[in-house]
Order: sequence, then structure tokens, then C-alpha cells
Amino acid sequence: MLINRIFSGNDAVYGLTEGAIDQAIAQHGAEKAVGFPNTAYCLPCYYAVTGVKVKTLQELKEALGVVKTLMTRNHELDDALMSGVATALCAEFIEALKYIDGATPYEEPCYGHLADAIIRELGVPLVTGDIPGVAVILGAAPTAQEGVDLVKSYQAQGILVTLVGGIIDQCKELGLNMGYGVRIVPLGYDVTSVIHVVSVAIRAALIFGNVTPGDAGGLLTYTSQRVPAFVNAFKPIDDVILAAGAGAIKLGFPVISNETENIVEVPGALIAQPDVSKFNATSLEARNIKIKITKIDIPVAFASAFEGEIIRRGDMQVEFDGSRVDCFELVQSKDASEIEDHKIEVIGPDFDEFEVGSKQSIGYIVEVAGKNMQSDFEPVFERKFHSYINCIEGIMHTGQRDMIRVRVSKDAYAAGFRAKHIGEVLYAKIKNEFEAVVDKCQVKIYTNAEDCTKLRHELAIPAFDKRDDRLSNLTDESVDVYYSCILCQAFSPSHVCVVTPERLGLCGAVSWLDAKATNELDPAGPCQVITKEKPIDESLGSYEDVNEAVKKFSQGALEKVTLYSIMQDPMTSCGCFECICGIEPFSNGVIIANREYSGMTPLGMTFPELASMTGGGVQTPGFMGHGKHFISSKKFMKAEGGVERIVWMPKELKETVADRLNETAKELYGIENFTDMIGDETIAEDPETLVAFLTEKGHPALNLEPMM
Amino acid sequence: MPFNQKPQKFNASINTVEIGCGDKAIKLGGESVFPFYTFDGPIDNAPKVGVEISDMGLEGATPEMLAYYGEGASFADMAKKAAAMEGADFVCLKLEGGDPNGEDKPIEDLLAVVKEVGEAIDTPLVVEGCKNVEKDSELLPKVAEALQGKNVLILSAREENYKAVGAAAGLAYSQKVGAESAVDINLAKQLNVVTTQLGVDAKSIVMNVGSAAVGYGYEYVVSTMDRIKGAALSQDDAMLQMPIITPVADEAWSVKEAMASEADMPEWGSQERRGVTMEIMTAAASLAAGSNAVLLKHPQSVKTIANMIKELV
Amino acid sequence: MALNGIQIFKMTPKKNCKECGCPTCMAFSMKVAQGAMDISACPHMSDDALASLSEATAPPMKTIKVGTGDAEYTLGGETVLFRHEKTFVSKTRYAVNVCTGMDDAMIDDVLEGAKKVDYERIGERMHVEMLNVNYHAESGADKYVATVKKAAELGKTLILGCKDVEVAKAALEVCKDAKPVLNGADASNYEAMSALATEAGVVLGVTGADINEIYDTVAALEKLGNKNLIIDAGVKSIKEAFATAVQVRRAAIKDEDRTFGYPSIVNVAALAPKDPYMQAALASLFTMKYGSIVIMSEMTYAEALPIYGLRQNVFTDPQKPMKVEPGIYPINGGDENSVCLTTVDFALTYYVVSGELERSGVPCNLCISDAGGLSVLTAWAAGKLSSGSISKFITEEVEPKIKSRKLVIPGKVAVLKGDLEAKLPGWEIIIAPREAVQLVKFLKDLTA
Repeated sequence: MLINRIFSGNDAVYGLTEGAIDQAIAQHGAEKAVGFPNTAYCLPCYYAVTGVKVKTLQELKEALGVVKTLMTRNHELDDALMSGVATALCAEFIEALKYIDGATPYEEPCYGHLADAIIRELGVPLVTGDIPGVAVILGAAPTAQEGVDLVKSYQAQGILVTLVGGIIDQCKELGLNMGYGVRIVPLGYDVTSVIHVVSVAIRAALIFGNVTPGDAGGLLTYTSQRVPAFVNAFKPIDDVILAAGAGAIKLGFPVISNETENIVEVPGALIAQPDVSKFNATSLEARNIKIKITKIDIPVAFASAFEGEIIRRGDMQVEFDGSRVDCFELVQSKDASEIEDHKIEVIGPDFDEFEVGSKQSIGYIVEVAGKNMQSDFEPVFERKFHSYINCIEGIMHTGQRDMIRVRVSKDAYAAGFRAKHIGEVLYAKIKNEFEAVVDKCQVKIYTNAEDCTKLRHELAIPAFDKRDDRLSNLTDESVDVYYSCILCQAFSPSHVCVVTPERLGLCGAVSWLDAKATNELDPAGPCQVITKEKPIDESLGSYEDVNEAVKKFSQGALEKVTLYSIMQDPMTSCGCFECICGIEPFSNGVIIANREYSGMTPLGMTFPELASMTGGGVQTPGFMGHGKHFISSKKFMKAEGGVERIVWMPKELKETVADRLNETAKELYGIENFTDMIGDETIAEDPETLVAFLTEKGHPALNLEPMM
Repeated sequence: MPFNQKPQKFNASINTVEIGCGDKAIKLGGESVFPFYTFDGPIDNAPKVGVEISDMGLEGATPEMLAYYGEGASFADMAKKAAAMEGADFVCLKLEGGDPNGEDKPIEDLLAVVKEVGEAIDTPLVVEGCKNVEKDSELLPKVAEALQGKNVLILSAREENYKAVGAAAGLAYSQKVGAESAVDINLAKQLNVVTTQLGVDAKSIVMNVGSAAVGYGYEYVVSTMDRIKGAALSQDDAMLQMPIITPVADEAWSVKEAMASEADMPEWGSQERRGVTMEIMTAAASLAAGSNAVLLKHPQSVKTIANMIKELV
Repeated sequence: MALNGIQIFKMTPKKNCKECGCPTCMAFSMKVAQGAMDISACPHMSDDALASLSEATAPPMKTIKVGTGDAEYTLGGETVLFRHEKTFVSKTRYAVNVCTGMDDAMIDDVLEGAKKVDYERIGERMHVEMLNVNYHAESGADKYVATVKKAAELGKTLILGCKDVEVAKAALEVCKDAKPVLNGADASNYEAMSALATEAGVVLGVTGADINEIYDTVAALEKLGNKNLIIDAGVKSIKEAFATAVQVRRAAIKDEDRTFGYPSIVNVAALAPKDPYMQAALASLFTMKYGSIVIMSEMTYAEALPIYGLRQNVFTDPQKPMKVEPGIYPINGGDENSVCLTTVDFALTYYVVSGELERSGVPCNLCISDAGGLSVLTAWAAGKLSSGSISKFITEEVEPKIKSRKLVIPGKVAVLKGDLEAKLPGWEIIIAPREAVQLVKFLKDLTA
């Protein structure tokens, strides 16, 4: 039914066009020039699709013959969409005829054809996202007010609005200021005038997309991927409008309509939305347009200058203290249908109802949805809350998860700061900073003690536990890719970190999840995907793909690395490593020194001496920089036997890692309290004393194969 | 046994980017050897020297520069004199007066200067914005528009505004795009990647990888350029093969060594000469590290550096 | 191929006897691998091991010493072609040229001028380290010897630019104890020159008509047993001198051609006579690309300020950023009542910040505490720039000297504000912008 309606609309327009061309030829002769003013692209749409420039009525007639060949009548969606394109081209022909003899067929407020210069000017903000989208509004809204409200909603978002038909008069009626300068462009009253906005999209593809005229495939790819346009068509939708809409859909522009009669929805392309007030949201979601938030709507300032502000007890309006009462903060990913973008709900009493200086419960849940959102990003977002909330003037935030403390100052309260403003800040920051993965976001703020208790224990803690489980179960084997990190190449030009789940960056600051998130959010940034499809020796942790990546990211300075060996092609170190391990030949083991340790090691070298020979992205077999966390990893020098090689660590470091290291040693070798066998500076600072100690303790390394 | 010469010839080369039109057009890059290593292979396009003029006129000009341009010179006069300077290959118009933290001149005023200069000379032109990223993202697209058909180089697209500047200069108005990053090979590469993803042809991009006056953290400039040229030639890294342009005058003339008056520093001697040597030495070091073009302002520096290039290529 | 520490360690006696000065054999091996110690420092190495290690661990480029006492300089010993690979170890040294073709007054002028530049920059003394005394045949041997004598009085290391064996001999008589460079050997006289240099115990400079002749002459000198050499890149043309300087260094380091494993002399005074600006350009070029000694016609502050700055930058450890001394630096005539600003001691940060402060024209005090030579965010992350470190410095160093109680902290560490307010009662803590370029406006507004 839909297809037949499109065919019939197309036939009608074709008939009109044929008649109009014939009449024009009869009136002006076949050699009469035809075209639009101020464009180098003749009839831009036809030229872009076919590569042929039409300059005379004769050529226009021939072009119509070509258009006819697009009008196949198999009962398939694609035939229907091509008929839509044919309809659009016919519309362009009809519009072109209006301009014969330098006529000016459009007058205030209508623009009709738009000059090339406008497209060059519009193209830049379209590319930068300053104009996040182009709305094409067709027909008359149910009431003038609804129409104008819709137009204004787009205008407020910076979207360029083009108007065709009755909506123009509705805007005039309510005195809306229109014009190119305010990004509301009435095109004309005839439905064919819609081609003037199509022409904009198509010329943008030619100018900004380097699409070759005649490359219809390239053209359609460009318009559907790079021109964020969509159509809002008001009922009634007749066959002609439907046929034109099919053309829009072929270009990748979804059509949203309040028509419900005689119409079939096509998911993502032809969408019925009976409620005109929801046209905006529906359209933006359908076209995947994200609006940048430039100003956060809160009554106090927001800047990094306030990050270190401390709110003292006496200046405090109210405090939420997770160490005394139930509090939490949480990010959860949801399905898009469960989220209403920018909805901020405060559930429970607002700040006004709390006694001044009292301790209260709070729990806020930021729910996000997005096509590229992954639950692994939740903790990455969540860790930013601290800095976001701290940047609010008069608000102090410490801690994370369910151990947070938030203080609101009397000044901020007096300025009007309330619970919902926390939501505004979180919403705005999450949407802006994580634009690449967050399409929709809503915030729920709970201030009832009972709610907070319940949600903390039933929702938040299980979520945190699940995450921790995921982290501890995340092994190098369980993932398909690793990530490179070259954040420190400024200091250490040839260094590349290969970040795996069990081996975080040697600075200790970049985990595999962090690297993954960095990569998703900034695809051209410092963290790139490294595949691990071509293993060379899995026990050493050497892979052809890893070697290729290391070579590429070190600009050829490094040929290969292993992930699990410190003797054979060990991973390089930048200079910002937390620890260095180095081979201690007399005990068959390694010693580890951390940056804070200033004394001597049994190797006869201090941390700075060790650092000077292992840093700078140079491979130094027998020596390697790493993070503290890596010491208890099952992958720590796995190729040489693992953690049982550790014979010495500074006391403080040993105490820091003891629990986890002992657990690993027990699991791997069945050794209890392994750290008791490991020397430290109070036991030995030279190899002889160390070996004596190790012998006394029966340290396993002494009986292992020599490392060299 | 004679010396066994082992030329380092690379299979990759730096992109050739043409600026300007007609007989006076210049080509930057194209070589497949390290800077000035003519003993390894030919360098068809010698590095070029650009002369900077500013929308602020001769404000802060030294006595010799004032004498060269003549007090009260119009922008057109200045442009012509700059183009005629001995050793000059191109002219660079700086629109520093647009800086919102400085003069904050309106865009229309700046465009008037751009047009005046554009009409006055047929020497290749480089236009540099005011360095404020917001203002530049408005200003530079208009500059690109105003100079349509002149094939100018627009400086600069930066991480914060590459979309606006890159799309306008590189796509809408077919000019050349200067991609500016802060003394780091990876930032430079990343900017090139995103700019080309925007649709700008890699061969329409010239990089400004950052600069400093010698003595002022110049080691970062040296290493960044060394590494970029190394990656471009030996690794055939297409995202680092853009020629490099380095603004030298700005940096050289704003350090204490060039700015301190003779009254303050009598033992240091002539202030003008200090500025000139600072400019010359910084330019020579930049060229040795791999700049394909340097921006200078003093006639003596322009002459000397052009001469040095001539002697070496 | 160079050996790594583990490979060297395997050949050591593994006794940890400490006689080499290192606590363990491993520490010693690592130092040898780095080129920081010579393998011969171990008294217990077997002859076989010593022989194979000496060859393998010998540096690609020899380290040559010239001068004595305070004026002793180390040249060469480089292991890389680009500074990002590893630190360049031996700085370019600058010499001023006198020639006996000049009249006496002029010679005195030049010598006087060579003393003028002498200042300190980031803990390093900057001055003309050497003098090139060029022999002008028509002026005769006596004048040369007299000039050498006069030049030697300056206490700078001399380069004797003289190809006449007899004259050189006479000149060496008066100055050889100060270990000058005898820059005079070429294909025609190398045997006699080498004998002379060896006898006097000085370094011999070698040149030739082209790079091949230089190569052959160096090879011939080595055959004679003289490996105490410097290669003069020649004065035929700028292009050729550059080609020679680069190819000599590259052959030594990249292609391990030990014949060219010597430092170099470039005489820019002769390459661009009477053109101080071109000489400035060339001095910069050859500081970047492989001149060990650069001879110039003069070194006034105009040349010195940029060239020594460049040298200081190029010859830094890429791993260890340059640091400035902690202290209070008054800017624009800042006094005890002027506002205080603080940042890290990373030299680049200091220069950028102080430059912007100077541009603002606002009198202020820049207070630098020890932050390990790191940039603001790195220092903060490493705990080297904290409310504790800043407040300690302010209470101990600043409070006794400065009356102002306004402290501006870097915008990137705004997070320290609260802690600082708690730790520095009486101080107003102000957050600066995040970027130094915004400081000018910020300071003007602050003090308006």
C-alpha cells in the first residue's frame, strides 16, 4: 500500500514535470537556458546523481528521460525509494523552470534556491557540529502554536530549520522572526520547494565530501552519514508528499509524521509520532543528533578553580556522609527506551527540609544509554563524579561508590542550589565528555533515608561487587584485544605500554578498562587496539600483532616485546614507572624497588640508578619497570617462573602488596605467607647477606633454574 | 681504502604542498632525505622563508624595521615591501589584533586588512589567526572565504578548532590548512588523523608542530621534529609526511634576550642585534631539525637565512 | 652490536669484590653496558674475556680530552645521532678566532673581546672556552709564537691552526702543557705532524681536500698509532663542511666505521668571513648537527645568549628535564609587598611562566619550590607538588622575606586550594588560569 502510494505520487509529479517542460519549450524554445542563480553546479541534484550538467530546456527534456529510467515499478521498497529520488529530481526540474529568464519566483520571507556561498558558509558549522542538525518541516501543524513551539525548540538547539508550506504562515501569524541569520529558513509554499534544502545537502557532499558528480553511491553514503538532516511532515500526507519523503529516506533523512492514516512505519526511516510536542526528541533520536551543552543550568559557578574548595563545618548547610548514613553514587547503563533524556528526578525531601548542619542520606543514580555504551565504562564515568561535583562552587565531595561525603555550603544554598542541580551537573558533564558513547542520560536523586538504605544494599553494592568480580576475573586470556598506551611519549619517545587486563600501565594509572574507554572515547588518541590473533609463544606472551603494534607506535625504535618475560625482549619503560624489578644473579631471583625507596638494593644500585638504565623506552633484559599492582599478578614474569622469583623488596612496598602477593603465591605454588621469605632493607642490602637469609628461609628461587 | 659512503635514501618522502598561484607559487616539501642532506639525495624544493607582517602594523617594530617599511606604511605598502625583501619567498599576515585578550578587533576590520594585503601582492600568502581558538574558528573561515582562488595557507587549525578551520580552509574554499600542535609527535599525528578524517586531503596540510626560542625548551622542538621526520621517512608514516612550517619571529622576539632594553642591560649591547641573532639562530636550528618553511620578520634575518639555505641546497 | 648488562655480567668473575668501585658485579656490568665505565676497571677479568669485551664494548666514537684544569674539555663519546635516543654527552665548545694576519691592535681587541662574555645560565657558566690561533705565513713564525703566548694567557684552551710543522713546533713549545689542539695535519704532512703532536702529548686536528682524503689520512694516522685526533670539516664551502660533519658522525655511529669515530672542528669564521649574521646561523646549524668545536670570528652577547641557550637545550638528558633552583624570583621589580605566584622548578615551565609574567608588567614574586623538575600535573601526580611541599616552602622561605599574603597557584592544581588555606593561615590562595598565556590578563585584572 505504501509502495503503491509512492508510485502514484511519483507518477503524478512526473506528469506535472513533463507537462511543464513541454510547455516551457513551446514558450521559449528548446535552446533556452535553464538553471539556478549563484551556483556552479547547474541543477545540483541531477548533476550530483548523474554527473551531467543540464543547461538548456532541451537537455532538461533529455534528463527527464533519464529520470524515467529510475521509475521502475517492481513492488519492492528499493523501487519505491528510487521513485522517491525520481520525484526529488522532478521537483528540481519544476523549480528550475521557475527561474527561467532570471525570474525571481520567491519573495519575502521565502528563500527558494540557496546560493553556493551560503552552502560553503553553512558547511563549516555543520562539519563542526555548531549546527548539530537540519530540520525540514513540511505542511501545517495542528495549531500555529504547536508549529512555532517546534520550530523554536530546534532553534534553541542550534538546529537549522527549513520550512515548506503551511508552517510558514503559522510562523508569520505568531510573529516569529525568520531568516537565514536566525537559522529559520522558509523555502516556499509548493511542496517542490523542498528540493532547495535537498540541494544544500547534495552540494555539501560535493564541496565538503569530495563526492564526484555521478557517483550516486558515494553521494548517498555522504548524505546519510554526514548530513544530519531529518523531515517533520504534518498530516495530511498525500501521495506526492509521501513520494518526496521516500526521496528523503533514500538520502538517509528520516521522516517523522503525526499522520496515522494510510501509512506504514518503516523503522528508523518513516516514523509515526502522533504527539507533535515529541517531534523534537523523536527526530533527534532517529537521526542520532547530540546537542552540546554549553551552559550548565545551576545558580552557582562551575569551574576547576573550585575543585580544591573546602567547606568547613560551620559554613555547611547540609552534609551527606556515607561513613555515617547510607549514601552512594552509581552509573548504570540502560536501554534507550527506559531513559528520557535530561530527566532529573529528586525523590525525597529537598535541601530546604533538612536542618541546617545536619547529616543526611543521599543516593544518586546516573542512568545512561547509547549505541556504543558498554557497562565497562560505568566505573570510568563514576570516577569522574568526584571532580565534577567538586567543581561546583560551594560544594565539596570526597570518596567514591558508597563511601562518599558531600557538603553543601550555606552560600550555595542561599544562591538557590538544590538537589536537582547535582543532577544538572552530572547530566551536562556526562553528556559532553562522553558524547561518543552516551546518547541519553537521566539522573535520579534519592534523599529519603529508607530509599537510600534500600538502594544502597539492593542495587549499588551488588553492582559494585559485580564490577569487582569482573575485574578480578578479567584475565589476559579472557579478552580479545589489548591496548597500547603512548601517553608518556613526550618524555620517553620510543616507549609503548601494552596494557592488558593483568598488566596495567607501568605508571600504575592506566588499567585495561581505562585504556579501552580512552580508545572508545577518543579513537585517534593515545590508546589503540592491539589484536592478539597471531601468537608466537603464549607462555612468553609474544604475539606477531603485538610486535607490529609496538614497532608502529615506537616509530620503529622497538621491534618486539614479550608480555611476560623480563629476560627476553622485556617491555620497555618510560620513566614514570612505580617500580623496577631487576635480576639478582646470586639468588636466581629478582629484586623490586619502588620510586619512594631511597636506599640501596642488594644489586648495588639505588632506584635512581636502576631507573636511569631502564627508562627511556630502551629494552634492558633483566630489568623492567612496572606498576605496584602488577607485583601480585599471576603474569608477573610468568615466563621465568612468576612471583616466586621475588627475593627482595623495600619493607614498605612489601607490606603494601603482602596480602595480594601471598594470595597469588598460595594459589600458584601452595606457599603460605610468601612475603616472609622475601628480604628487605632491614634484612640485607648486599647479595651475600640476602642469599644467606633466603637459604635460611628456604626461598623457592634458590632452587629454580638460573635465569641467565 | 676510501670512505665508504652509505647514503640514507628513503622510499618515502615528505608531501609536496604548493602555496600561491602562478609564477611565484612555492612548493614546500617533497624531499626523501633528512634536512639539508643533499649528499644522500636531491632536495628539489629548498626550505622557504616567509616574512611576517601584522594587522597591528609596525607596533613594536625595531628601528631598522621601521626604516625598512617607513613609518605610517599602509598594509598594502607593508605587504609589498615584505614581498620585496631580499630572500623572501612568501608573506605571512598575522591577525594578532583579533585576540579577545588583547585588542579584540572585530572580524570585519581584520578582513579588511586581509583583503587589502591579498590585493596588494601576488606573492604566496600565509594568514595566521589571533591564536585564540574561539575567535580563530570564526575568523579563519572568513579569511579563507575572502581569499578564495589565491591558494593561501591558513594558520592554524588546532585540536580545539580543527573542524571549523579545516572544513572552511581545506574543504569549502580549497585553501591549504596549517595544523598546529604543541611540540609532541603524537599530538601532531593525531591532529593530522582527525583533520584528514574530516575530509581534508593529507596533501593540503602543512604542520606547525610548535616552536620555541633557542634556550627556551628548544630541545622539545628538536626532538619532535627529528622524530617526525624519522617516522615520515623511515616508517613511511603517511600521517606525519606533511611539510613543517615554523613561526620563528614570534618566539625569538618575545624572549628577554631580545626584549631587554640597552638601558636595562648595558653589557648585552645592541638590542636590535640581539633580536636578530636570536631570530637567525632559532631559524637555523629549526631548519636543521626539519622545518620546510620558517616565518621571520627582520630584513637581516630573512636575508641571512635565505642565504644559508641557498648555500646548503 | 653493543652488549647488554646481562651479557657482560656473565663474563665477570661474579665475586662482588668491589675493587672496581661498584658494590656488585651486576652494577658494574650495567655501567659498562651504558658506557659509563670501562671494562678494564675490573682487575679480575680473564684476558680472554677482556679481549672480547673490549672490542664489543668500545664506544663507536672516541672520547677526546683537550685542555687542562678548569679549561679541560671532553669532546666526542657520542653514541647516538638524535638526542631523543639518548643524551648527547659532550657539548659543542665555541672558540674565537685570531689570525696573525691581523695587526697587533686587532689581535688585542679580539682577545679582549673573547673575555667579555661570561655569565651563568641555569647553573652553567657560559663563556668562550677556546681560542683558535690561525697561522698567517706572511706574518712569520715569530709573530705566531708571540700571539700564541699572548692568547695562552687568557687561560682558555688553544687550537693551533697551523700546517707548518716547524712553526707548530715552536708554538707548541710555549703552550703544550695546557694541552692545546694542534689543528694542522693533512695528507701532505701528517707523519711529521703526528710525531709532533704525540711528542707534545696533544690532540691532532686532521683535514683534507675532501671527505675521502680526510678518511685516508685518519686511517694512515691510526696506522701510525695516533688515535688522539679531531676531524676538521674543512672550509671549502658551507655545503661541503656540513656534508663532512654529518657524514663523519653518521659513519661512526650508525655504520660503526671507527675510522670516523672522532669529534669534529668546524670553522665558521672561515666559512663566512666578515658576515657575523651568517656565522650566527652556521654556529646554530653546527651545534645542531655535529660540530664538537665551532670557531667563530667573535662572540658578543648577541651571539652568546642564543647559542649557549641552544646548546644547553640540545645537550640535556631527554629523560631528565632541566630544573631551575628553588627560590624567590622577583619579576618586574617585585618587592616584599608584591603578590606571590608559585609553580614548579621544571625549567620549561619556569621560562614560560616567567616570560608571561614579564609581559604583564605587573611586579610580582615567582616562588619556586623543589618539585623534582617535573611539570605541574606530573609533579602533582607524583606528590612532588603538594599542599605540604608548597606550604613548607612558603613558611620557611617566603614568609620571612615577603610581606604580601597573596599566593597564586597554578590552575591545574586548583584542587590544592583548600588544603593550602588550612596550612597557610593568613594567606589568600588564588587560582591562576590553567594556561600560562592567560596569565597576562589574569594578573592585570588581579592587580587592577
